[in-house]
Order: sequence, then C-alpha cells, then structure tokens
Amino acid sequence: MKRKLLLLIFFLASFSLSFGQEGLLPFQDSAALIQELKLQEDIPSFTYRFFIPKANKNSKITSDSSFLWVETDTAFISKSFKNGTLIDSLYGQLQGNSASILFFVYEEKTNVEGLQSYLETMYATGDFVLAEDKEQPENDIMLLASSNNYQPLDAYKNRLLGDFKLLAVTLIILFFIFTAASMIIFMLIFKSQRNQREENIKNYENEIIGPLTNLLFEKDLDEISQMSDQEISEIFPRSLFKKRLFKQVLIERIIGLNKKMKGEFKDKLKTLYKRLGLVELTKANLKDSRWDKIASGLVQVNEMDLSELINEVKSYTNSKNFHVRSLAGATLLNLSEKVDLSFLKDQDYPLSDWQQMNYLRIIKFVGSSKFLNIPILFKSKNPSVREFAIKMVRMLGRVDLIAELHMINEASMEEEKIELIKTYDALGAHMEVEFINNCMLSNNPDLKKIAVKAAGNLGNSYSEVILMDILLQNIDFRLRRACLTSLNKLNTQTFEKFVATQPLPENKALKAQIQDPLLSNV
Amino acid sequence: MYNFLFYFLIELIGLFYLILSFSVIVIYFIIMILSALEMRDYRRKNRFADYEDIITSPIAPGVSILAPAYNEGSNIVQNVKSLLSLHYGKFEVIIINDGSKDDTLTKLLDAFELQKVSYAYNPEIITQEVKGVYKSQNKSYRRLTVIDKENGGKADALNAGINISQMEILACIDVDCILANDSLTRMVRPFMEETNRKVIAVGGAIGIANNCDVQDGTVTKYRVPQSTLGQFQVIEYCRAFLMGRMAWARINGLMLISGAFGFFRRDLVLKVGGYFPKTVGEDMELVVRMRRYMEEKKIPYKVSFIPDPLCWTEVPEDVDVLGRQRNRWMRGTIETLQLHRKIGLNPKFGILGTISYPFWSVFEKMAPIIEIFGLIYTLILLIIGDFSALYFVALLFMIYLLSLLVSSFSILYEQISYNNYKNKSDLKKLIWIILIEPLYIHPKVLLWGLKGHLDFIIGKGGWGQMIRTGFKTAEERKTIEAQAEKSL
Repeated sequence: MKRKLLLLIFFLASFSLSFGQEGLLPFQDSAALIQELKLQEDIPSFTYRFFIPKANKNSKITSDSSFLWVETDTAFISKSFKNGTLIDSLYGQLQGNSASILFFVYEEKTNVEGLQSYLETMYATGDFVLAEDKEQPENDIMLLASSNNYQPLDAYKNRLLGDFKLLAVTLIILFFIFTAASMIIFMLIFKSQRNQREENIKNYENEIIGPLTNLLFEKDLDEISQMSDQEISEIFPRSLFKKRLFKQVLIERIIGLNKKMKGEFKDKLKTLYKRLGLVELTKANLKDSRWDKIASGLVQVNEMDLSELINEVKSYTNSKNFHVRSLAGATLLNLSEKVDLSFLKDQDYPLSDWQQMNYLRIIKFVGSSKFLNIPILFKSKNPSVREFAIKMVRMLGRVDLIAELHMINEASMEEEKIELIKTYDALGAHMEVEFINNCMLSNNPDLKKIAVKAAGNLGNSYSEVILMDILLQNIDFRLRRACLTSLNKLNTQTFEKFVATQPLPENKALKAQIQDPLLSNV
Repeated sequence: MYNFLFYFLIELIGLFYLILSFSVIVIYFIIMILSALEMRDYRRKNRFADYEDIITSPIAPGVSILAPAYNEGSNIVQNVKSLLSLHYGKFEVIIINDGSKDDTLTKLLDAFELQKVSYAYNPEIITQEVKGVYKSQNKSYRRLTVIDKENGGKADALNAGINISQMEILACIDVDCILANDSLTRMVRPFMEETNRKVIAVGGAIGIANNCDVQDGTVTKYRVPQSTLGQFQVIEYCRAFLMGRMAWARINGLMLISGAFGFFRRDLVLKVGGYFPKTVGEDMELVVRMRRYMEEKKIPYKVSFIPDPLCWTEVPEDVDVLGRQRNRWMRGTIETLQLHRKIGLNPKFGILGTISYPFWSVFEKMAPIIEIFGLIYTLILLIIGDFSALYFVALLFMIYLLSLLVSSFSILYEQISYNNYKNKSDLKKLIWIILIEPLYIHPKVLLWGLKGHLDFIIGKGGWGQMIRTGFKTAEERKTIEAQAEKSL
C-alpha cells in the first residue's frame, strides 16, 4: 500500500513537472533553438563538438590545432566548445567537409529535443536567460519590475519578522514544556515529600505520646525536675531526638497538651519542655530572619512561660511585622509579672482591632491576678492606644477609673470621645451628663449619635431640651430615630407630647416602631 | 498603493496578535507568581490566628447577613436555619423576599413564628416598595428579620436589606449558598487586622457543591460534578478564586467580589448609594464604585480576599442556563466598565485605573471580540496565500500549552492548599477536562461572551443611556435615581 502511494506521489509529481514545463521557451523548431545557441556565450553544463565522417577526410582540416580532432573508427570529433557565438565562424572553417554539430549536456551527448528540455528547465529556474532579454537596455529595469507581482515587505518579513516570530514562539513552547515538566516534577516531589513528612509526623507522634503520657501520669513535678540528664535523654530514642522534625512535633504536642490541661500537668509540661532542651529551638526561632519562625518562637515562649526569654520578646514589640508585634505584645502581657502596659504606651504603630481583641482576652485573663496599669495608656502618644485604654475600662467594668477618664474628657480627640461616651453609658456614669450634653451639640455626626443614645440612659432635663432641639432640625432618619428613642427613655410624657405636636410622618412611624415590643432591640 | 497598504495592515494586525499573545503569557505568569506569594503569606498568617476569640469578643464588628430570596420556597426554611446557626457572636440575618410568586414568605412566617412589625422603613437607598417587615416572637429567632417587598431584582432587594441593617459589616450572599460555620469569623478578620488602610470589602472563594455530600450546612465530602460543564466550572473556579483573585488581592487590584459571598463596610456602602439595580453586574459595579470613592477622597484602602472554601453553591450544569449566566456576566462587565470609564488609564485612580481597569477591558471584556477577529484574520491570511501553517500551528500549540499550564497550576494549587478533591478518579477527571477545555468548552464560552456583547449593543437589560454616559463621580449614584424619578 505504502509503495503504491509512493508511486502515485511520484507519478503526480512528474506529471505536474512535465505539465509545468510545456512551452516555456519561444522556440518553434530546432533552427530557432540553434539560432538562440548562436547568441549565447555560456550556458551552464552545455558544450558542443564538430563531427566529420572519415570518408570526407581532409588532412588540412584535421591537422588544424584549433579543433584538436580525435579520430574514431568512423569519424573525426573535435574538442568541446562552450561559446555559442563561435558556432558560425567555426562552422565556416569546416565548409565542404560534410561537418555536423553534436550537443552535450553534462558531457553526455543529446539531441535537439533533449537540449530544448534542458534549456526549459534552466529557464524555469532562472539559470538560463534568452539572449534578447539580456540585450534589454538598462533603463527598462523598472518596466521589468512592474511586470512582476509586487509583494511588499515580503523579503523583509521572511528574513526578519517571520524568523523572529517563529523563533519567539518556539522559545516559548520550549519554555512551557520545561515549565510544565518542572511543575509535574515539583508536584511529584512535593506530594511524596508531604506524604513522607505526614508519615514521619504520624510515626513521631506515636513515639512521643507513650513516654510523654507515662511521664505526666507516673512522675510528679519534683521527680521530673530532678531527673538526671541521662534519664532525660533516655525518654525518647536518641536517633530520633537528633532530628529537627521530631523536635518540632514534640514541641507541638507539648504545646497542644498544655492548652488542654490544667494545674500541675501544665507545670510538668513546662518543666519537661525546658529539661528536654527545647528552649534552644525556641531561641533559634526567635533569632530567625523569617517572620513566621519568629512568630512560632513567640508562641512557644508564650505557651511555655519561658520568662527567661522576655528580653528577646520585648525587642519585637515594635516590629514592622504586624503578626510579630501582636504576638510579642500578647506574650509580654502574659509573662510580665506586673502588667504595666508600658510597651503598649510606646507603640509606634496603630493598634488594630485584631490586636486589641487579643490583648483584651489576655488582660481579662491575667487582670485578676496581676496589677494592671491602664491609666498609663491614657497618656500614650498613639491615639489608637488611648482609644483601646478607654475601651478596656468599659470592657473590664473598671468603674474606679471613671474619675481618671473624666480628666481626659476635654483633651480627647473625637474618636476617643465616642469611646468615652460608650464607656460612661455602659458603666452608668450619670455624673458625666454634662459632657454627654455637650457632645450632643457636636458637628461630628458619629459623636452626636452616640451622645444622643447615651443621653437616653444618662441624660437629664437639659438633655430632653437638646434632644427636642435636634429633632426640630432637618436631620437624617437614623439620628431622628436615636433622638426619639432617647427622649422616650428619658421621659415618655415629653416624647408623646412632642410627637403629638410635631406630627411629621417619620415621627409617627418612629413612634410606632419604638413602642413595638418586638422591635425593642432595633 | 492599495496593495501595499493592505499587506502593511495585515503585517500590523499580525504584530498586534503577536504582542497580545506574549502579553497574555507574561500576565498569566505574573498572576501565577503573585497568587503563589499571596497564598504562601495567607497560610503562614493563618497559623497564628485564633478565630475562637472573634466569636465572643466585644471588639469584633457586628455582621448583617443579607440574603435576597426569589421563589426559594422549596429550601428557604432549611437555608435560613443554617444561616441562624453560624458561629458568631454579633450578627443578624435579613431575608429579603423579593416579590416571590411562590410560598417563600408563607413558609418563613410559619417556620419562624414571624409577625409583622411597625418598622419605620426609611429608604436611604431608593428601592421598590417594602410591603412589610417581620420579626419573630420566638427569642431563638431574635436575629432574624424578614422584609417583604415588591420585585425589583437582586440589587434592589439587597438595597432594601442595607436600609434596615444595623451592623457595621454587610455580608451579601445568595440564600441558597451553604456557608461554613466559621465563615463569618474568617471573613471578618481582614476588617479587624488592617491599621494603615481601611478594609472596605472582603471577597470569599466559592466552592462547587454539585455532587458533594452536605451535612448540617457544611460540605463533608467533596466530589467533582458528574457533567463535563460542571467539572469545567471546578477548574474555572479554582483559576478564578485561587489564582486570579489572590493575585489581584496581592497588588490591591481586586475589582470583583462575587455576589454570592461578599462582605462590605456598611457605612461606605451607604455613602456610595448601595447597589446599582440597573446593571446586571451589580456585584462588580459596587466594588468599583466603592474603590473609586476611596480614590476620589484619597483615603488609603484595601479590598481583601479569603481563599478558604467557606461558601458553596450549586453551579448550572445545563448548557442553556450556563450560557445565560455567562451572557449576564459579560454584560455586567461591559456595563460596569462603561459606567466607570472615567477611571480607565487614569493614574489618579492608582492600581484601579492603571492596571485593573485596562486588564478587565482587554482580557475580559474584549477577549471574545479579539478571539473572533483573530479567527477572521487567519481566514484572510489563508485566502490571500500569506498563511504560514508552521507559524499557525506553533502559535496554536503555544496558547494551548498556556491554557494547560494555567489550569494545571490552579489544580495543583488546590491540591497543595486544601486538597479537597482527594479521590484520584476526581483528579483524573479534572486533568481530562484541562486537556479538552480549550478545544471543547472554550469555543462555547467565546460564543456566550459574544452574545453578551451583542445583547449589550441592542440594549437588552441595563439602563441604556445612563450606562453609556457613565458616572461622573462615585457618589453620583446616590442622586441619579432620585433625578430619574423626578424627570418621569
């Protein structure tokens, strides 16, 4: 089948070749062809010779050295000539000797048809040019050019752009293949490493849990403290204990247990952590350049109460990295003997809500057992720290600090005033009603709204007057709702009277809402 | 002369496509790198986050969950119960019945012992008429509020919800979405973390729930959908959420937060006038308008993104429904870009104007047009005989490989980060889809996109003239409807 196909292709190719060659040269017959030859000085691979039968031997002619005759059985054959323009003159010298001309292509003898076919091929490839074309005057070159199909930028495109584009595409394809292969290799390596790591962690956990449980339940705190180095080193297999991953798993396991357990167990775990020399790993983490390693170290210090590393922790309280300085702050709050909060006071960076939430949790936890110096924060240069201090008073229910807060009422920024009013409201600080009344007159809409809300719980008769004044102004709906709610809380009769005398549709609608028991929290 | 011009033009177009192809490659590689960096940082940060604190902390912000419902009678009760059971301290659930024709409202009233209350509804953002507000007599459902209103579309329903919401953060979701129990704590975290910049919105990744096991409102077992279109969307969602949005979040260039699961700062939403109900791309439009407002006011801000799978939704597996969805997405994109064309290539709008907007204009909005024009260009080359088969095949192969690379990377990403699709057969199915997607599914997506363009041109949906004119400022949206009503 394949062979047949090849034959077919060959046939088609030769067919198209011969078809394509037909009639390219304008030679009507052999005389025209010879006429053309006489005009050509050099046709590649073409030569001609002269031939004289022996019967016509003429010693004068055959001895002419310009022909270099060679004798054969039947004739004399001249040397090869290339220059066609000499045909006539050479032939003239041989007149009367029945001389004829022989054509050779690639030194092979050929007839007129063969020569014509050869010239056709040469003409098609541009290697043979008709004599009349050669003789065109030079100034006709533009006409010649215009007779060709014009293809702008074609050569330019092929040489530069075409190759450049293909080269770029090829390079990208190679790059993609390389990247894809790298990605697959990476995926395989990553998966196998992760599987291996998970397998190791599982094995290590199995190795750890038994000895750790035994120690916690069979030995008391003093016994663990007094264990010799020899005994300590025999708790876990030495070959494993040298491995970093094993130590990491051990640390995670101890910290995990520490979070879940209470009382003496916590102390045992902390002692064990130190006796096993895991503190060195924590120290190394704290000195690492990667923020997540430092953060891990801080978590370890915090969970294991490693107060000997408190100075290292302090150096991170003003770290550029949010997570590091948050954890450092939390650790300091947890480990400091007295929570003087001075590190917070000196914070350069604003405190985020996330940090405040974490700090508040720890402060709530340690506040009952340690001295908590909140007022120091009221003097911080950092507004977010001052706001947090006010929030803490509210959230820790520190009624004893209301007097301290009162001192900062007027000097506070508007955001702080909002927190102050919320705090007074939450702690029921009726003595601050004047401050609240003043804030109700503020131009800051947020401060005004909070003051109006607080006035509902802490206000006096002057507050009622201010509320009604505000309600008579063209105010937004939410403020109107807050005013009417507060007025209703302060004095229901005044509220009813006001709505009756000011029967705006929104006042009526809000009255219905305020008095709807299902909407008491809205 | 004309001959010369024609061939010169052909050369120029060829050069344009070449530059475009290389730009696509470079951009996708940048996206891959940026998303990898962002994911690495996110996972590192997550190791030190204790989400339990947020649930009870008085410092954590309150969240108003807004869920519009239209003809959701079959599942509404189950969905609302699931929302009410989320683990968070301070939140309310506002269901907006957007003129449902089925028994959605009745079912809600019965199941949650709701009563119409005398709520003084104030349309801070203009909406269709609110027929009633309902609260429960049962204290277990004290967090629930139901609004019954005339039908006005999703954006209008959300605006009604915004008008009565009480909390600092708005969580705009689709009511049929399945939310993870800890979804609120995780989504709220970015709002609490930033100090120097205000976080104005947080987007979340959306998982595909088709064919997955769901128990107590949480996906317990992941499986890829059974249909080819469903599987294709798994890859597409991985590409969009794990790669695209993570990369944009890295450079603070996010322009889109999915309407099915997005968190916004309420005060800012009110300042810019809420959702724009006259566009089908209301989710994208709101984010762009909020960002534009912050840029105009020169307030430092950030739009964050959480890649954890916290929300799952059923995706359409029917070709017609999917086609309509994509058509809508395309129109939404065109309308949003049109409304905010003032910000395009405007350095005054920072990353939004100089990077995000041009990217969306060229690689999202114009992509179908450029692709179809590329096909026409190839045909012209064939006809005039200036066609290089070698070059064509090489370019085609290059783009095909790029598609494989990007899709494989997103799946690899999913495997490394979450490894939800644990089953090997699922992975094989996804790899098969990656191989056939450029040839089998992409042409469909292209046609849907073109249809979107066509529908936009003939004025299907949208608010014709307004969208063509665009907003002069971000705040213009607040007054535009009032003006329109007056003119009527």
